[in-house]
Amino acid sequence: MDQFDEMMRERAKNEPFPLPEDYAGRVFAVCTALEEPKTKKRKRPAARWTAWAAAAMALFIAVPNLSPTAAAAMAEIPVLGAVVRVVTFRAYTYDDGYHSAEVTVPELAGGQAAQEVNSREQEYTDRLMAQFRETCEAELGQEGYYGLDVTDTVVTDSDTWFTLRVDTVETRADSGQTSRFYHIDKATDRVMTLKDLFLEDTDYVDVLSGEVRRQMEEQSGEDDTKAYFPEEFTAIDPEQNFYFDRDGALVLVFDQYTIAPGYMGMPEFTIPAEVYADLLK
Amino acid sequence: MTQAVMDKETFCTRIIGCQEAMFRTARAILRSDEDAEDAVQEAICTAFERRDSLRDAEKFKPWVLRILANKCYDVCRRRQSTVDLDAVGELPAPETDHVQRLSLWQAVLSLSGELRAPVTLFYYDGLSIREISRVLGISEAAVKTRLFRGRTRLRELLNEK
Repeated sequence: MDQFDEMMRERAKNEPFPLPEDYAGRVFAVCTALEEPKTKKRKRPAARWTAWAAAAMALFIAVPNLSPTAAAAMAEIPVLGAVVRVVTFRAYTYDDGYHSAEVTVPELAGGQAAQEVNSREQEYTDRLMAQFRETCEAELGQEGYYGLDVTDTVVTDSDTWFTLRVDTVETRADSGQTSRFYHIDKATDRVMTLKDLFLEDTDYVDVLSGEVRRQMEEQSGEDDTKAYFPEEFTAIDPEQNFYFDRDGALVLVFDQYTIAPGYMGMPEFTIPAEVYADLLK
Repeated sequence: MTQAVMDKETFCTRIIGCQEAMFRTARAILRSDEDAEDAVQEAICTAFERRDSLRDAEKFKPWVLRILANKCYDVCRRRQSTVDLDAVGELPAPETDHVQRLSLWQAVLSLSGELRAPVTLFYYDGLSIREISRVLGISEAAVKTRLFRGRTRLRELLNEK
């Protein structure tokens, strides 16, 4: 801290601050009116809670919504090209009053690419669940809250393209959201990333990054409530999350907190086709 | 170590101890006293409901300011579809005669929106870069950048070298 900072802190301490008239009275009234929430979390003695949580931990459940036989039968329908579809969900649930998890793991059928997505998604959710269990075990007897929710959405299911979006929300005092997108080119039965859309040796990363930066500045300039971290944004990831919207436009998606304050959620930028059309395969 | 849930009396005492910081922070993010007071009121209620998530009572102030900042961001989000002429860009510094010096708070309020809250938390509330980052939900690098810009502008406004 330099001399200017010290001087400012001194002024902040000494200069009278203009609070609204009777602000303190209104704060006091709010405090006086506070009541215990009606849906208060269950409270148990720590020892009992520990035993109960240990027992509950063993009861993580996996519930397929279709039988394995039905799933296998659907996957074996003879088709021209891959018919990718979600045939099974596995739902993991847990709630001990302080920690809760709702994790839905979709299983795809329809080809090699679908199996690859299943494998990646299983690995990802296994890791999340392991981390969740570790947190629960580490916090036995404590009263902090930790929530884990994983949900999925089929964003695109056209004749040639399939996109599955998996959203993860972790909640403590605040929440953070991340997403993963899995794309399958049905014609080639391949799992696709952003990189696979563009010709090799093209500067698609620079081109798309430039457009994102332009839109960040435009939005910040037009609307004071929108804020980004342009000074921290250098470039998109070569395999940046994306999807195609209903009009077929390319939409780039960024995880919460990565390029903007938390209140902005997960920023999305729709990239006009003319920006990248010449670079496509 | 297990932290017992704070009782109401202690909670209220801590809130009253933070009430000025709460109003100042809300007012730095929002552009009217009324909105700031509403956000403070909502934050007090939410903090009380969620006080079991407070792990370290010593961190009460940054914890409650973080809840407050999120309430203020909710207000901003609700306003995205409306035009708030008062919230556009940096405000002109209030006119003062040659003898009267601009107060620090007047100078802070004339900073652009993204600079006001980090500057307020740093100078008025003595929060560290890391604490400001957590309260406002922005990176430490962004806090440093904004403090640098805020400091530069304050020097100009206050004619301090």
